[in-house]
Parts: sequence; structure tokens; C-alpha cells
Amino acid sequence: MALFVNKQKKVQTEVSRYCSQVANCLDTFQHALEQYCKNPDRDAIRKDVADVHKAESLADDIRRDIEVLMYSKALFPESRGDILGLLETMDKVPNQAESTVRMIMNQHIVIPETYCQKVLQLVDVGCRAGKAMIEAAEKLFTDYTNATVAIGKIDELESEGDRIDAELIERLFSDDDIDGFDKIILRDLVKQISQISDRAENVGDRIRIIVAKRGI
Amino acid sequence: MLPLTGGLYLGWALGANDASNVFGTAVASRIISFRKAAVLCAVAVVVGAMLQGESGIHTLSGLTAQTMTTLVIVSVAAAFSVTLMTILRLPISTSQAIVGAIAGIGLATDSMNWGGLVKVVTCWIATPIGAMIIACVLYKILGAVIHWIPMSMLTRDKILWSGLIVVGTYGSYALGANNVANATGIFSGMLPGVSDFQLATWGGLAIAVGVITYSKRVMMAVGSGIMRMDAFTAFVAVSAMATTVHVFAVIGVPVSTSQAIVGAIIGIGLIRGVHGIKFRVLRNIAAGWFLTPAISLILTAAGYAIFCRVSG
Repeated sequence: MALFVNKQKKVQTEVSRYCSQVANCLDTFQHALEQYCKNPDRDAIRKDVADVHKAESLADDIRRDIEVLMYSKALFPESRGDILGLLETMDKVPNQAESTVRMIMNQHIVIPETYCQKVLQLVDVGCRAGKAMIEAAEKLFTDYTNATVAIGKIDELESEGDRIDAELIERLFSDDDIDGFDKIILRDLVKQISQISDRAENVGDRIRIIVAKRGI
Repeated sequence: MLPLTGGLYLGWALGANDASNVFGTAVASRIISFRKAAVLCAVAVVVGAMLQGESGIHTLSGLTAQTMTTLVIVSVAAAFSVTLMTILRLPISTSQAIVGAIAGIGLATDSMNWGGLVKVVTCWIATPIGAMIIACVLYKILGAVIHWIPMSMLTRDKILWSGLIVVGTYGSYALGANNVANATGIFSGMLPGVSDFQLATWGGLAIAVGVITYSKRVMMAVGSGIMRMDAFTAFVAVSAMATTVHVFAVIGVPVSTSQAIVGAIIGIGLIRGVHGIKFRVLRNIAAGWFLTPAISLILTAAGYAIFCRVSG
């Protein structure tokens, strides 16, 4: 019994550490995009990509540690499966943030100044959805029945993200000042950013199932 | 001591089948290993049989007058019914098998204690109903407690993990206290120098051997039983079953743990929605309830008639 409690405590601590790391990764990503919009300097974005990658890698390391801890037979088989599935789905959010900044760097994307505010708004919505996702995941380990409150926030932010995404793309394709090829590239970037809130929503759906399974 | 063999066989069959009612869900969902569950269950069964098993023994032994010959016929007929029901893959109630067999002799020899039989049959009917009511009340109360106290999903799991083991052990105790009479109850006062306490101990040990040697297969099959149960549902169902069976152990009437758990699960199904209940399994259980005592009764009466004709 004591062994079970210790492992449970350890899993809880590690998941909390993982959530902090994902939050850190999202903050670094948001900061990188803000800086790039102010000054699209390639050296700066290279450094930011490295920072986001480092934060994402650290989150990955913690996730693998948790997986090893789980496979050493901590917790009920059902909870083990739920937590492993949750972490795998959560992992897609920092991955998406990293691939977005990498896309900007590799494809030499320059965001036109007139679009910066809206793009940063989309980034902010995505990061807030990510934070709500973290809040919901952490709630599972403190007060699981209330995790659904944070999931409601994710849903709202995801809808807002979709709205901004659609607005941006429509504006982009009715803008005669931007070259057709650049339009395609920028549309892909917008879609890439918008995916962050979509992936957070997937995590929310998974948490909803975890809570429902334990419903009375 | 030879006639006791039939009773010990019944005890073994009872342990092999009924342990699944108390630890089936916990073992099938790998909350506890079969080995640990079997040891806990076996110990609790023996303790229950020794501490509270004698009341049921008095009830069964008072149902009809017995001779050494009728004892053999009763135990063999009950054992044969149990085996037949197992072959037909229908749920077994050793309580009904043994009482059906006793009633067969009682009718054949015209020495039936009708008052005692009515008491037993009433308790059989009250068992699933009582378990159903207890399950409904527990489900509502515990559900509200778990819902309103903020806790981690892991803490919830830990509570249910501990709870399932505690109620499983309690259920095993109740199983021993209540069902030991099925195994050795009819031998009360019939074997010189063997007290009811010793009969309870022997019966408890026979059930424990059944649990350890042959209950794994049934336990693993419980997951696909009447309704798929999560940890909370299993906790409520086993608690309701254990309480009901224990109450009847105190009253002194052997009842079926299978019927108690079925009643509890139906109670939960009524709250959660009956869509999850597998009615085909329920139909088989209902068939078993009627067939077991009927087959036992017919076999015993026939066995006694053959014996009378052969012995002139």
C-alpha cells in the first residue's frame, strides 16, 4: 500500500513537472513569435527555435520518465492507460509550437506588418488554449470532477481560434499586395498556428472521457 | 466420516464458483493478483465459517429428519445437481441445491419442516431484493460523497482499490459464515463426536480449498458477466452483496452470493440505466434459480425411491 502511495505521489509530481514544461514551451513560442513580428531577424529566430526545441525536448524527457514509471506497474491498469494516452495527446501541443517556429525559420517566412497583430492574436489564443489544457490536466490530479470547467475554456478558445484563422485567410486571399505564392505560405503558417488550439481541444476531449469514465 | 465427503465436495464447488462474486472484478481488472485474492478470500472464508457459521448449520439440520442413508443421498444429489448446472453453464446456487435435496427427502419421508422451508425460501426471495435496495442506497450515498469531495483521480482509484480489497475480504467472511451450512450443515448431530463447530471448520476449509484450487477461471470470466463493472460499481455491488449475505448469516439462513450480487447489479442498473445489463445472462441466472432446487429435489426423491425398492 505504501509503495502504491509513493508511486502515485511520484506520478503526480512528474505530471505536474511535465505540465510546467509544456507551459514554458508555449511561453517561449509566444515570445518568439512576438519578437519575430517586431523584428524578423533570422539569427534571432534561429535562437528562438533552439529555445522552443529545448523546452519541447525537456517536456519529452519528462514524459518518457513518466512512461517508464507507469510501466513499472504504478497505479491501476486503467489509470495507467488513461495517463499515458493523455500525455501522448498533450505532447502534440509543444510539438506543434516547435514545428511552427521551425517552419518560419526554414521557409524564410516574413509576416507582413499589417497581419502581425492578427497573427499574434491567433498565437495568443492558441497559447491560452494550451494553458487551459494544462489547467484541465492538472485538475485531474487535484479535483478531477472539476476538470471539465477548464475544458469548457479550451472549447471557447478553439472556436475563437477558428474564427481568427478563417478571417485571416479570407483577408489574405483578398489582398492584392501579396504575391500568390506568399499567400499559400502564409495560409499554411496560419493553419499551423491554429493547430495548437485544435490539439489542445483533442486533449480536452480525452480529459472529458477520463472524467466521464469515473462519473457516477 | 465417508458421508461427509459429499459435503466437502459441495464446499469445494462452492468455493470454486462463489469466490468470483467477491473478488472477481478486482482480479479480472488486475487490481489485485489472483494469488493474493485467493489467499485473502480463503482465510476470511475459514474465519467466517468458524465464527458465525453455526447458525446456518442449525437451520439446515432442522429442515427434515435424516438418517445416514438419506445424508448420502442428499449430498450426492446436491453435488450431482451442481455438476449438471456447471456442465449446462448455468449459475450455481449450492444453497438451493442442498435445500432442494433436503426437501426431496422431506417430501419422500413426509418429515418436512414446512415452517423452516418457508423461512429459507422467503430469505432466498429477500436476498436479491435486499441486495438491490442496499446497492441503490450505497450507490447514491457513496456517489454523492465521491462527487462532492475534491480529490485526484489517483486518490479516487486508491480509495476504490483499498475499498475493493476490504469489501472483498468482508464478502469472503460473509460467504464463509453463510454458506458453510450448505457444505456440512446436513451432517449436524449425525456424526458421533463431531460438533457443529468442527463441521463449520471442515466446511470452511473445503470452501477455501475450492477458492485456491479452482476459482481463477470463474473469477476471470466475471468481467463479461451481467454488466461491465468499473471499480466504483464493483465496490458498491460487492458491499451490498456482502452486507446482505452477512445479515442472513446472522439470521441463520444460507443464501446465494450469486443471487445477492445479481440483485445488487440490477439495483445499480436501475439507477444508471438498464441498457448496460446483459439480459441473456440474467435469463440464464433466473433459469438456474428454478432449475437447481427442482433438479436436486427430483434427484433426491428418485434416489430415495430407488434405495427403498432395492433394500426392500
